[in-house]
Amino acid sequence: MIPRPQALIAEVTHRCPLHCVYCSNPLAMRPRGEEMLADAWARIFREAADLGVLHVHLTGGEPAARADLEELVHAGRAANLYTNLITSGIGVSEDRLDRLIGAGLDHLQLSVQDAEEDPANEIAGARAHARKLGLAEVVRARQIGFTLNAVVHRQNLERLEAIIVLAERLGVDRLEIANVQYYGWALENRERLMPTRTQLAASVSLVDAHRARLKGRMRIDFVPPDYYARYPKACMGGWGRSLILVDPCGQVLPCHAAAVIPKLSFENAQARPLRWIWEESPAFQRFRGEDWMPEPCRSCDRRQEDFGGCRCQAFLLTGDASATDPVCSLSPHRGIVDGVTGRINSGACNGASWVYRIDPVDRR
Amino acid sequence: MTAASVPKLARGCRLSEDGGEGWVLLIPEGVMRLSGPGPQILRRCDGSRSLQQIVRELADEFGGGDAARIESETAAFLERLRERRVIVVE
Repeated sequence: MIPRPQALIAEVTHRCPLHCVYCSNPLAMRPRGEEMLADAWARIFREAADLGVLHVHLTGGEPAARADLEELVHAGRAANLYTNLITSGIGVSEDRLDRLIGAGLDHLQLSVQDAEEDPANEIAGARAHARKLGLAEVVRARQIGFTLNAVVHRQNLERLEAIIVLAERLGVDRLEIANVQYYGWALENRERLMPTRTQLAASVSLVDAHRARLKGRMRIDFVPPDYYARYPKACMGGWGRSLILVDPCGQVLPCHAAAVIPKLSFENAQARPLRWIWEESPAFQRFRGEDWMPEPCRSCDRRQEDFGGCRCQAFLLTGDASATDPVCSLSPHRGIVDGVTGRINSGACNGASWVYRIDPVDRR
Repeated sequence: MTAASVPKLARGCRLSEDGGEGWVLLIPEGVMRLSGPGPQILRRCDGSRSLQQIVRELADEFGGGDAARIESETAAFLERLRERRVIVVE
């Protein structure tokens, strides 16, 4: 039985005025000239809704870098999808926000890089923090759902409490505190981003305390750093189980990072029906279910909980996309992860400089 | 939550019909599938009705029943949603 997807992640552009050192976009980005037009997106939204998708997350890059973002929001809502905009806030003026809401926007997720301006701007590689706070006040005066997303890492976890207090002051409905996941740009910067074990323990108890204090007022979701976990995360809820990602040129992927996996051929939604891609394309079937699993996953009691963890992480760390996720304590490759965390906790890794995300360039 | 409380769907949460598969509550981080009288309760959580009024309307819609039991079950349902910040109370 083929599972029904719940959400579509629409990477409508890879262009972005920010250069965050942990950007989830692939290192090989799509230039503007390859971006799909709004009518192609609208058709994909309708096909996704037919497939059972309920949410569309408009993300990038920075979606507001597209002049036709209002049209995309309208198309999402017209397809009866819950329409969420994931934004840095740059490019969303008060007037534009009202146009987006008028087009049917249900929810806005604003990212912040820190609670303090200087370190926030250092991580973003841009003077963006003050403008984000300005937009936050405007959003809060509107009747849409509002989430603040803060990516956390070794350089800002000392200010986690200040981030929570900032979210509370901004009046958001929900705060998502997400530890960096190490793919793409973040993997390039792992030595400076990976938290220490002490920081992780402190952050977990801090989040618990504030969750209890804010219960019913502000929801806090916390994504832990999987390198310190005993078992892997159920990445994307399992390969080809609940999420579809479409990149700016229409390539359909099971997650943000999957294009790094060699020998998989990902289909394009402009050339093939989305239903066929989801249900039948070889790439979506490759790691769906259990048949692909090696030991120790194949006989593991947890195989239906974590689905063997993340295929991209397995590939990036072991060179084999079908290996057990090496963050699993049962993986024969766990030593790779322990080697990284051991180095971080010995305090030996502050020397490197940031690798900033660059903007995609049109080929001439 | 008391009989006079006025529950309302939080911003960013909305009821939607899911094809032929009944009603769902769309929320920022996902979807809550609704069963039993869930949709009938939540449709009335519009910020204009008190819990007491909602219970009265439900009793009418479902043809009477034990009002005290409807009230306690409805209040417990809404309280669980309030903790998840899907319902706010004014």
